[in-house]
Amino acid sequence: MSDEKERAELLAALHAAGAASEEDEKELQALLEADPSLQEVVRDFQDSIAALASSFEPLETSPKTLGQIQKQIAREKGGFLSRLRSWFSKS
Amino acid sequence: MMAEVRPNDPVDLVAAMASGDSGAPLNAFYAQYASTVLALLMKMLGSREEAEDILQEVFVELWRRAPQYDSSRGSVVAWVVTVARSRALDALRARTRRHGDKQQQFFSERHGLGTDGGRPDVLVSSTRWHQALRQAFKRLDEDQRAVLELSYFLGMSHSQIAEALNLPVGTVKSRILAGMRALRTMLPIIHRSMRV
Repeated sequence: MSDEKERAELLAALHAAGAASEEDEKELQALLEADPSLQEVVRDFQDSIAALASSFEPLETSPKTLGQIQKQIAREKGGFLSRLRSWFSKS
Repeated sequence: MMAEVRPNDPVDLVAAMASGDSGAPLNAFYAQYASTVLALLMKMLGSREEAEDILQEVFVELWRRAPQYDSSRGSVVAWVVTVARSRALDALRARTRRHGDKQQQFFSERHGLGTDGGRPDVLVSSTRWHQALRQAFKRLDEDQRAVLELSYFLGMSHSQIAEALNLPVGTVKSRILAGMRALRTMLPIIHRSMRV
């Protein structure tokens, strides 16, 4: 593997693991702009660490929680956030 | 006009949420991920009450951010886990500001993988998928697992990890890369084992 590819893979790994510094992140963004295929490496690493993070024994949630989430969303719908969501979905 | 939403397809559910539907798609999305997210939050925070509070914040945020989700940039589960991890790290940082960092012990000491046996709230329906994942991750080299746990679950940068473990930064980076490569190779093996 070339030094550049090795460096790009290292930056992708640090990013996915949450260990990248600000400089690392900037360098990775620049490399991603120059070579969009690097996104696949980032994605693979992110999926791998997400699998690790989702491997714990699932826990039963409180029956109240979903209702509280729905109430909060209902409050937000129709307000400023609704307009913001609409803007995001168009952009 | 929106295509029909397949309730078992997470991408469809996120798309429906993005269009503002907070009914059945949100319920199905919650049913699919809430217990996994709660388990992650418990591991990171160590407090059931706090984890339940953050769980609520996480799902409201996922609903808000649904229009931004881009399937070409990552899977739905990776997106969900990223948002949950980020909120849990915020809570850990807030706790550290309140109480100092004495309570921040290594994740592997408090919450090592596969330490849930006997918990009354662990879902009986814990799947073969979760068991296969945990078995695979136990095979990670101990040094690699330690740096990944510190970075991912405690939000430490490579330089903070180097200082905490008294290692050169280059060694920490190499272990993170090696650990991530090992994780990446494990996923197809797990997928294959699930087909047997």
